[in-house]
Amino acid sequence: MHRALSVLSRFALPALLSAVVALPAAAQALPGTEVGAQNLRPYHFLFIAYAIAWILVFGWVVSVARRLARLEKRLQD
Amino acid sequence: MTIEKLRRWGLALASLGVLGILVLHALVFFWVPTEASQGIIYAIVYVHAPSAWVAFLAFGIVALASALYLWLGDEKVDQAAVCAAEGGMIFTTVVLLTGPLWGKIAWGTYWTWEPRLTLTLLLWFIYLGYFLVRSSTENPERGKRFAAVVGIVGALDIPLIHLSVLWFRSLHPGPVVMKPEGATMDPRMLTTLMLGLLSFTLLFFGVFALRYALETATRAAAVRARAART
Repeated sequence: MHRALSVLSRFALPALLSAVVALPAAAQALPGTEVGAQNLRPYHFLFIAYAIAWILVFGWVVSVARRLARLEKRLQD
Repeated sequence: MTIEKLRRWGLALASLGVLGILVLHALVFFWVPTEASQGIIYAIVYVHAPSAWVAFLAFGIVALASALYLWLGDEKVDQAAVCAAEGGMIFTTVVLLTGPLWGKIAWGTYWTWEPRLTLTLLLWFIYLGYFLVRSSTENPERGKRFAAVVGIVGALDIPLIHLSVLWFRSLHPGPVVMKPEGATMDPRMLTTLMLGLLSFTLLFFGVFALRYALETATRAAAVRARAART
């Protein structure tokens, strides 16, 4: 469990965060897509909103699990 | 309840919550109909509203536990209050960040000082104050008591947030679920929203149990360290 959370915090969350930052910019960089970007805007905002919810809520889950594991290890030592 | 039991319960509830949220995502993207006037952006409601519900629930627990702490002076209820307050802050932050994204598409602006938004931001600042007050006094017991008062006063903002759309002129839409004549929402949308509420609540209680176990272990370690020094 701790290992899975560690992998999640090291790789999955930064990857998700990068996607959140990069995807809207990438879509807007497509040629001749002023109207297209306008139409895609709600999708980008929806994606960002869900990503924010995931990052904050699961960040909290991971943070609590890591603090608990660290404290238990310290108490065992 | 022992730390091990709390951990087990916490993990079980949190896993159920995560599972529910995964199903929620599948429903949002493959099953639920698109709202007629706002389009796809309306799908933010399935994380925005459950986050708001959980934030209110968490701050309600803070107020109740704080009142009990002031009355009984029991450390355990203070522990429960601080754990719930942390969760409440996280979910209020989700509400305050997802709402403006919805607002930009629906209203044309990220932020406007309308009653519900302003009162929700005020709620966030009140509970930020809760943590600041706790750590700002030299005597920790005094800090806990001051924080308990802030925790109770802060919860008075919750009914105001809920009723602000009825009492004041507001950009926020009125209630669509909690209405005297019943919910006026497509049944599939309502089912998805209810699943969101259930999943977020389970996840909150799961992490709350883990956070409570952490707080118990931290305080036990502090007591042990103090005893070892003397």
